[in-house]
Amino acid sequence: MKVGESALRTVRIARWQLALALVFVVAGFLVVTQVRNELLIRQQLQVPSQRLEELAFVLREQERRREGLEQQIVALRDQVRAYEQGTVQGRTILAALGAQLEQLRLRAGLVAVAGPGLFVELKDSPAPLRPGDDPNTVIVHYTDLQAVTNELFASGAEALAINGERVVATTGLNCVGTTILCNLKRIAPPYRIEAVGPPDAMLAYVQRPGGALDALRAFGFPVKAVKAERLTVPAYRGSYRFTFAKPTP
Amino acid sequence: MWLPILGLLAGIILGFLFSVEIPLALVKYSAIAILAAMDTILGGVRAQLEGRFDLSIFVSGFFANTLFAALLTAIGDLLGVDIYLGAVIAFSIRIFGNVGFIRRDLLEDYWQSRQPVGSKEGLR
Repeated sequence: MKVGESALRTVRIARWQLALALVFVVAGFLVVTQVRNELLIRQQLQVPSQRLEELAFVLREQERRREGLEQQIVALRDQVRAYEQGTVQGRTILAALGAQLEQLRLRAGLVAVAGPGLFVELKDSPAPLRPGDDPNTVIVHYTDLQAVTNELFASGAEALAINGERVVATTGLNCVGTTILCNLKRIAPPYRIEAVGPPDAMLAYVQRPGGALDALRAFGFPVKAVKAERLTVPAYRGSYRFTFAKPTP
Repeated sequence: MWLPILGLLAGIILGFLFSVEIPLALVKYSAIAILAAMDTILGGVRAQLEGRFDLSIFVSGFFANTLFAALLTAIGDLLGVDIYLGAVIAFSIRIFGNVGFIRRDLLEDYWQSRQPVGSKEGLR
């Protein structure tokens, strides 16, 4: 019993020691937990926990900046697309301009064309001239050519050439002596008029009674008007001069 | 003095045994709570060395200070004021002060134990 009593005496624990022990248990547990968490944070994030707020702020700033940059990317891509389209359209515009130019050339008569149409031939009258006869009665005048040309245009000719001379808007037929000038070039009979256009319409109009051909026939001129499947009308080889005419805006 | 140290060891072992993961947002609060706990413990040790240890004050102070420190930090976060800085400074000052007193008390005890109670005998 003595041993027991002395044992109890030696194992006497002061109240404060017990309390302190309990508190130390809690404290030790808390400290260890905290340190482990801190080390875990440092290991995972490579950053101590004191800097987390700062890093959160930096993260938000960077995210905002990235948003701005992304918007910039979108804007720049739109710009690139616009430029690309502009280039494509530029090519398209060039092609369109080229086509327009070709059209204008065509309309100006600078391009040789081919197609179905009408072939009209006018020859001088083979009737022999008796002395005292007016030679005007046996030769084809520029007015005749003009009339026939006019009739062909009026009936739908799109391109017309006389003896290989393309008749354009400024083509004038006039008489110099006994030769006819077309595009300031002398042309001689037989006058072969090639007109590309609606063959039936042209033929009908040109052969109508009271027309130029009819009149020529009446005067004994050999006149031929034949439909053709394919006629080639050459390009206008003359020059244009606009010294007086200026374009008006 | 061995039981408290045993208790400390037990606490440390428990801490290693049970891995409690504190959420990132609460890590700051637990840090300040630990600081308060350390301050309270050192205050208790000093009180004991000065002979005025009161168990109720000690235990209540431990838990109260710990919780209050965490609460104050949370309020500071809500207000946008870094109150926890003040708590850190306050507790640090107290810890250093208590450590100083403990040191002085221990030294006094040591010198007193070295010198016999009847100092006159030594003079004799």
